[in-house]
Amino acid sequence: MKRNYDIDDLINRFRQKDKIALARLITLIENQPDKASTIFKHFENLNHDSHIIGITGSPGVGKSTLTKAICKILLEEGKSIGIISVDPTSPFSGGAFLGDRVRMTEISLHPNIFIRSLASRGFRGGISRAVLDISLLYEAFGIDIIIIETVGVGQSEFEIYNLVYTTIVVMVPGYGDAIQMQKAGIIEIGDIYDVNKKDLGGEDIAANIDVMLDDSSFQSGWRPPVAMTNSITGEGVDELIEYIKDHEEHLKLSELLKEKKQRRFAYKIKELMYYRIEQILGSLISEEEINQTSINVVNEGKFKIYEMVHDIFSNVKFEKKKKG
Amino acid sequence: MELIFGGFQNIEQIVQAAIHEDVDVIGLSIHSGAHFAYTEQLINLLKEKGVLDHFLILVGGVIPARDFQKLKDIGVSNVYGPGSRVSDIVNFIKTNVKK
Repeated sequence: MKRNYDIDDLINRFRQKDKIALARLITLIENQPDKASTIFKHFENLNHDSHIIGITGSPGVGKSTLTKAICKILLEEGKSIGIISVDPTSPFSGGAFLGDRVRMTEISLHPNIFIRSLASRGFRGGISRAVLDISLLYEAFGIDIIIIETVGVGQSEFEIYNLVYTTIVVMVPGYGDAIQMQKAGIIEIGDIYDVNKKDLGGEDIAANIDVMLDDSSFQSGWRPPVAMTNSITGEGVDELIEYIKDHEEHLKLSELLKEKKQRRFAYKIKELMYYRIEQILGSLISEEEINQTSINVVNEGKFKIYEMVHDIFSNVKFEKKKKG
Repeated sequence: MELIFGGFQNIEQIVQAAIHEDVDVIGLSIHSGAHFAYTEQLINLLKEKGVLDHFLILVGGVIPARDFQKLKDIGVSNVYGPGSRVSDIVNFIKTNVKK
């Protein structure tokens, strides 16, 4: 089997909308981040923006099925869609079981859809780097709508929130009361809230969210709406899509889209810089030095840990070059 | 190593997923006795799309030993029948997938 990547050939095929080339460029950037600037250089003259939607919620709330239902309608409207499906990697087996495709089979053969799964491990620079890179490639490919689907657990939820323009928080009946929602912090990040599995009830939770939203202030001028869906029957999905379009419109009419774009890249720039700094640091301070220091700490006493780290840095000098 | 579990899919969906995810290995698990039909269908479609050489193809399941060679002849890299050891499969993948 062949694993050779000729970048120029891939770019040519990419421009002709060859999905194989898109898939391989994603792999290439994932595995060799240093190639990213060479690849993106080819797209400098492109000026296509996709609308980027994040769908987040705890495991089991029906994100994949909801994504499928949303895609079905958008595909009928003639839109092209790129999905980035983020599945957590098991901390025990170290492997990932990317099962979301199972639920996407029905739409996966449509020519206007591309689905890529990601596990939250194994990418240099973390999950959000991979998400940003893939979304940039999707935009270069000319995709209309990008959907990033992620479990709303811990830090990753907030990372993704920085990378999208419209965040949809999905919940289900029986999630818990208002206090729990506030505790989870989810009430601050959604642009749209969706109570899925409405066949199981859910009016109470929808009302709860509404009350909480009424108590909040929205400087953006956008008061998040609350939708109720049944992603299996498709009930309510039309309304949810209307909310998405309303939000997109709102972002465009206000200065918010610009702000969100800036946030998307500011976040990235910081991360890319930390990645570089880590590399520089790795070349200045060896793994052995760190190991030796830990041995010293154990031998000489744990309370010396700060002092020893300080000592390592006393031999390191960072300097910013003067321009010109 | 990451696994993309496909569930019960038709060959077209399998090929589509393999291309989109740019996987290294396609593994078919067949217990119906129709291993020739499915495998041939898979290989033909990969050929048609011009990506046959992108993937390592493995077949496993209830496959009689006498069919192993025939499957290899049509393009399968290795076949794993009942009683196969996971470590053998893993080693085979590690040796044959080159990044």
